[in-house]
Amino acid sequence: MAAPLSATHAHVEEWSGEDVAVDDVVRALCRLREESAHETEGPDLRTSVMTHMAWVPSEWEEAAVETLAGLGERHPSRGILLFPEPDAEDGIDATVRMLAFPLREQRRHIAAEVVSLRLRGLSTRAAASIVNPLLVPGLPVFLRWRGRPPFGQPEADDLIQVCDRFIGDSGEWPDVPDAYAELPFESTAVSDIAWRRTEPWRRELAGLWPEIAEIGKLGVRGPLAEATLLAGWLRSRLDRDIELEHYEADSLDGVEIDGSECPTPVERLSGSDLLSAELDEFGRDRVYEAAAERAAV
Amino acid sequence: MTETQVQPNPLLDGLGPRRAPEPCVLVIFGASGDLTHRKIFPSLYSLACRKLLPEKFAIIGAARSQWTDDEFRDQMEHAVREFGRDDFKPEVWNWLAEATRYLSLDFSDESRENELSTLLNEIDEERGTRGNRVYYFAVPPQAMPTLVRELGERRTTEGWTRLIVEKPFGYDLASARELTELIGKHFAENEVFRIDHYLGKETVQNMLALRFANGIFEPIWNRQFVDHIQITVAETLGIEGRADYYEHAGAIRDIFQNHLLQLVALTAMEPPIDFTAESVRNEKVKVLKAMPTPGPRQVVRGQYGPGYIDGKEAVGYRDEEKVDPASMTDTFIAAKLYVDNWRWADTPIYVRLGKRLARRETTIAIQFKRAPHPPFEDATTEELQPNLLLVHVQPDEGVSLAIGAKVPGQGMRIRTVHMDFLYGGAFRTELPDAYERLILDAMLGDQTLFTRSDEVEEQWSLVDAVVAAWARDRPAFPNYAAGTWGPAAGDELIRREGREWLRH
Repeated sequence: MAAPLSATHAHVEEWSGEDVAVDDVVRALCRLREESAHETEGPDLRTSVMTHMAWVPSEWEEAAVETLAGLGERHPSRGILLFPEPDAEDGIDATVRMLAFPLREQRRHIAAEVVSLRLRGLSTRAAASIVNPLLVPGLPVFLRWRGRPPFGQPEADDLIQVCDRFIGDSGEWPDVPDAYAELPFESTAVSDIAWRRTEPWRRELAGLWPEIAEIGKLGVRGPLAEATLLAGWLRSRLDRDIELEHYEADSLDGVEIDGSECPTPVERLSGSDLLSAELDEFGRDRVYEAAAERAAV
Repeated sequence: MTETQVQPNPLLDGLGPRRAPEPCVLVIFGASGDLTHRKIFPSLYSLACRKLLPEKFAIIGAARSQWTDDEFRDQMEHAVREFGRDDFKPEVWNWLAEATRYLSLDFSDESRENELSTLLNEIDEERGTRGNRVYYFAVPPQAMPTLVRELGERRTTEGWTRLIVEKPFGYDLASARELTELIGKHFAENEVFRIDHYLGKETVQNMLALRFANGIFEPIWNRQFVDHIQITVAETLGIEGRADYYEHAGAIRDIFQNHLLQLVALTAMEPPIDFTAESVRNEKVKVLKAMPTPGPRQVVRGQYGPGYIDGKEAVGYRDEEKVDPASMTDTFIAAKLYVDNWRWADTPIYVRLGKRLARRETTIAIQFKRAPHPPFEDATTEELQPNLLLVHVQPDEGVSLAIGAKVPGQGMRIRTVHMDFLYGGAFRTELPDAYERLILDAMLGDQTLFTRSDEVEEQWSLVDAVVAAWARDRPAFPNYAAGTWGPAAGDELIRREGREWLRH
């Protein structure tokens, strides 16, 4: 199971079980909260602003936990981590953690709930039915999908139907820019962390207006996802054909407009910062949608 | 003549505004003082940690002390380590230190003002700060006129200029007007940023969010549903060696004139049409204009005598260092105020503030009227209080709503329970210091959280009227023990109308 999300919590109440039913998990959540009342003057406070789901295939487990650890402080939420194991025997293993964060000058704590579910076999295909009873009522649901989502397949589409915002990272997808054509813009609001990474560069490029209006060729040194998104963005915003010259690099570290270097932005954001920024967004991002649509052209 | 149409930049769509100030130099007058150590520099460091300061930026500390650049940097490094809310990061500090210079300056020696101009020009050349200036006056009021005059006479047309002025802004209405007039000779109102640091507090701003972002509160935020309002600004601290200032100011000028009246204005104001500086401040001024002078029986003043704070003995005000042993300075005020307008007519606003009180807290309590006809037997509801909305400004920043709930078990017994929203808890993030927000806003030219000259004048006008009435009586000071909730007359003020101060 995943490690606790933050090292700063005062204590952790934990329940875990193998081959459990979703009702067991719901009961465990209630019981852990009630138990927190014995030590202090009332139950720990739960002040969620969303349900934050994450679909984490095994190869992304370590990276996902690290990113989420940086978020606990910023986005109080019920976290539901889904670890799919489609080839294992059918069943669900669960761990429920109630992390109690200390509060200045208070005896009470703030509780953050983290539900980790290992979905085995058939249950990976029915994830939506498993998470539905666990969502915090009345609050938005964000779904972070690690790796390439199988858009069009039930395990992805059903979960996307449940969420208010889908957050992917096209930098983790092997088939960009073609994959952008599959994004479920009509089903839910979509965020792309690769798109967020281009934001400081987009600001710099916007500063080159109006000269940039006549751009013919864009040179980008960085990952393919960011390069194609930048090109798609300029094509859609300026409504013109722009040739992309792409040089592969681990991070986005250079942009040229018709051979001239664009000023390098100073802003560098961590993985947690990037996801955090996406969790602050609620509506559809029409500028991204247009950029993704023209990324491949 | 053909008009040239400026085409909007399509690349800015969706990027949203970035709160990044333009290149500038921040000059802190009074750089060797307590405020610079405790608040200004630690706030600048926190802003630097979050990369919120402009890339092309410089700080000049100016004070009488004979320090070198390095000595000043050492002092500020200590200040950041001791008072900063962020861990000390050498790379951030080095960036800030490298941008920091010091100028030993005697404010009364007008000839040395040229040294400042020379240094500013030098920094513009070196760091590309484009003649943009933020002058922070962390100096005693008596130093202000010389500074304003000298800076005004030397201002150039290059770049923009902003003045950050600390409270107190004047001593009374006449002196505040005099100062406004002097500043107005050289600087426009939109260049003047009068700090009331309460307005920089997240929870004070949250008052606006609570009222105007939630449809459920505003319809009942009026005389029909609200029985009365209580605002408490209580400190456990004494005057902390500031006798020179406090003997002249007292609680009425130190807290009532600014922080407290700001809280009243934010609580009682009408919804602004937008969140621009002018709209918000227009509405606050309307509240202040609608406040009649409270009569003598509606204001209680007090002064603390010896007592206990946190289990330790505390001396009385008159025994504090440098305080006149027969001082008549007020350290406590309680008052019943009104806002005579359609929304609040006849709804009392009880306020109390003071030093050496029982607990440190700032709260705004909206006490609603009782349910008109609870269909329960009296005995079942005897523990039930009217609904109460409590805004905790500090500490435990947040909002509590007191509601009646059934006690579990047989029969129907109802008692009051509090639903708590703890601000720091909900967002699990350290709240920024008020000064961080205000310094950044001043650099950005956003005056929403600063006090406008007419607002200050309305505040002083009310205070002057209250103080004028005090000339006619001489209360028996001290009249409350340190560590209590003030004089008995303060309790009487509210009790005679069948109400009680809330014990939060």
